[in-house]
Amino acid sequence: MGVLNHLIAQQSVWQLPEGSRVLFATLIVLGAFVLFLGLIPVLQTLPPRGRRAIVVIITFLAGLFFAAEFFLPINWTAIFPKDDPTRNFLTPAIQPAQNVLQIIGALALGLGTFGLVRLHLRNVVQKRAQWGYSIVLLVSFITMATFSILNTLAEKEIVERGPVLERGFSILFDYTLVQLDAAMFSLIAFYIFSAAYRAFRIRSIEASILMFTAMLVMIGVVPLGAYLSYTLLGLPEGAAPEGANFLTQVQHNIGLPKIANWVLTQLNAPAQRAIEFGVGIGGLAMAIRLWLSLERGVT
Amino acid sequence: MQERTQSVWQRMLGIDRRWLYLVLFVNIVTFLVAPIRMPASISPPVQKFYDEIEKLQPGDLVMISSNWSASTLAENQPQLEAVIAHLMRKQARFTIISIEAQSRDISYRLAERVTKDKGYQYGEQWAHFGFVPNLIVAIKGMVNDLPNTIKQDVRGTAVNQLPVVRGVKSLSDYKMIIDVTPSGTLPIWISYSPKNVPILYCPTSVMAAEAYTYLDSGQIKGMITGAKGAQEYEQLLGVVGLGTRFMNAISFSHVLIILFILLGNFAMLMNRLQLRREG
Amino acid sequence: MSYQHAQDNWFAAIVIGFIALAVLLNILRARMGAQLYIRRIPGLDAIDEAIGRSTELGRPVTMIPGLTAFGVVAVQALTIFKYITKQIARFATPMRLLSADATVFAVAQEAIADAYNEAGRPDLYDADNIRFLSDRQFAFASGVAGLIQRERVAASFMFGEFYAESLIFAETGNMVGAIQIAGTVSFTQVPFFVAACDYTIIGDEFYATSAYLSREPVLLGSLVGQDIAKLLFALTAVGGVIASTIAGTDAPIIKLLGQPGGWEAFWSSLGGGGGQ
Repeated sequence: MGVLNHLIAQQSVWQLPEGSRVLFATLIVLGAFVLFLGLIPVLQTLPPRGRRAIVVIITFLAGLFFAAEFFLPINWTAIFPKDDPTRNFLTPAIQPAQNVLQIIGALALGLGTFGLVRLHLRNVVQKRAQWGYSIVLLVSFITMATFSILNTLAEKEIVERGPVLERGFSILFDYTLVQLDAAMFSLIAFYIFSAAYRAFRIRSIEASILMFTAMLVMIGVVPLGAYLSYTLLGLPEGAAPEGANFLTQVQHNIGLPKIANWVLTQLNAPAQRAIEFGVGIGGLAMAIRLWLSLERGVT
Repeated sequence: MQERTQSVWQRMLGIDRRWLYLVLFVNIVTFLVAPIRMPASISPPVQKFYDEIEKLQPGDLVMISSNWSASTLAENQPQLEAVIAHLMRKQARFTIISIEAQSRDISYRLAERVTKDKGYQYGEQWAHFGFVPNLIVAIKGMVNDLPNTIKQDVRGTAVNQLPVVRGVKSLSDYKMIIDVTPSGTLPIWISYSPKNVPILYCPTSVMAAEAYTYLDSGQIKGMITGAKGAQEYEQLLGVVGLGTRFMNAISFSHVLIILFILLGNFAMLMNRLQLRREG
Repeated sequence: MSYQHAQDNWFAAIVIGFIALAVLLNILRARMGAQLYIRRIPGLDAIDEAIGRSTELGRPVTMIPGLTAFGVVAVQALTIFKYITKQIARFATPMRLLSADATVFAVAQEAIADAYNEAGRPDLYDADNIRFLSDRQFAFASGVAGLIQRERVAASFMFGEFYAESLIFAETGNMVGAIQIAGTVSFTQVPFFVAACDYTIIGDEFYATSAYLSREPVLLGSLVGQDIAKLLFALTAVGGVIASTIAGTDAPIIKLLGQPGGWEAFWSSLGGGGGQ
């Protein structure tokens, strides 16, 4: 264990001189690639039950790794004095494991992009319905990708940043993508307006309570609520003084901002917390079922 | 066959939503330019936020996690500007970190602009650590060994060469973490950051609702809610920033929505009455 | 110190262990033939109605997992989409699954192909119907909204993790008159779905979906285990309120229960050291 710990902690392969490191890395990548390619035909020859067993074992081992890293005791300095007391022997492997996940994500991104481009190329070639939109997508895709790649190369000083690249990237990124992003987000304000107009109707007691509470909060949280309560109605602002009578205490607590804050902290927060507990427990139960391959949904 | 004509109430109920959009648009534009200033009532979470930063001593180090991009600029930019202004007033040092490229560019440019006005030196009093693709891994790494996790700042300088973080080994050496974000990064900071470092939170208005539970439990020490919270914060700082400028439009949009909800309900009741009368 | 390992906060580790135990024991109980009850969830009953309407109109069904990254939420969402696909395969109703996460997209392709196979209609599977649009939030939102508008979808199923784009999907679906059923663990988006969708599945109902649709003993047992764990949380909260009301928030026993840290902190508190 100590040897393994030392090896992982030192990450000795990555501390080799530059030339050997590249050679090692290339060998490891090639080895993994050959192993992976070799595994595919082996898996294909297996019957479905055998294939499932392999999936179950790999899933279990991967889950076990993360669970063990969390649950195993830390601070092994009594046995291995040179160890870092804030981690156990699996901790150094977390970062490479996360890197692997990111590499898988990046490969999937390539797959997704390929699928998208293939679909729209087909739309154009076969002149399917509304194929004009596909041309817009393809042209935008190629233009944006070209300028982004060139910009990254220019940042690394591999290509020269000419005025065309400078201006083109600025037009595409600052004046197009950023603005379109902001425009899409601002659409939500309009959608909230139409959804609220349509949905907030007094159809039942519950709906009425919901509507009036929403109105109180909407006015209470903006300065207009403070203006109406404290300037127009002259209600006292701030907390009621110690030992104040009931009427004074009421006056200090019925300002719209106070009511809004009370709704948010005393009604909304406990309800949110209860839902959060449920979601957390549900997620954990789902994770356990997946780890032990008890969930048959997508597998 | 004679087509039955719709009553005015029915037409109101089935109004084309584009009319609603036009009314809202005109309302927003009008109150964005209208020179009305309404003072805000300072909400407890904003007051707590302010008080927490007031406790900082000159030279204390603060980590700002800035994860917003152009889409939520209207809410997060006023927050970040107000927070940096307060940190500079307290002469605190700060470093910024993001989780994607656009957030990095925007927060870096913003911090450069606002620090330049106050004579804050990059590298000496503040720095930007660029972006990290995986926040969990980054926080875990920074807790154990900050310089080796971040390696270099946004300008390519090695982190251990930056005077602003000289002697800093871990995130535990920071005095405060401030998360300015439109997404679900807060639970990650709460879960993985050192427990001796208080967390302050600047969410968009819609994300604030779920943070009250953390505020209550003390897992975050204060919160600035969207542009509205930013206005309150600007008021506490005694400055007029973007939050104050945006607030009129937000206030009167709320009023407009309430008016239309009431109008819709009135139309629904009148329509029901009319149908009952007609049998 | 931060909570990176069980040892940093043994109390949390024990709670996790208890939940896991409750879930596993009840799965075992269900496997041994215990009859378990699950209440009605109207939103899930409406899935068939929405599919029927799509079939009648001959317009597509959209399935949107939101911005869900690959993980437990995505697997649950894909399980629901697989069930829906099996149902629509019987009537050859067109479908579109639109993803913002490339890994979810890759798994979705497999899951949907499986669903058509299991329904006995592998011929209906078209890889082009499962689409990765963009991993940028609002590029994805505009892509989905555009597709809903152009294809005038008749039913829209939104299950997964959603952020600000939720209302863009739901309101666009509403504009084209689609029946919409949403289920999400992102509770900040629940109000938007409630306002614009026909049915909304809230919080942990989302995780109950697969048990509800399949009635598999393993899943039903897991659900009972989750309920027991929730009961523990509720009892802890009630017990905490009563104890701190009676003993006061400064009482050593209350401080001890709120004590972070491992066993060392726990013992030092017991010994009157006050811990960290």
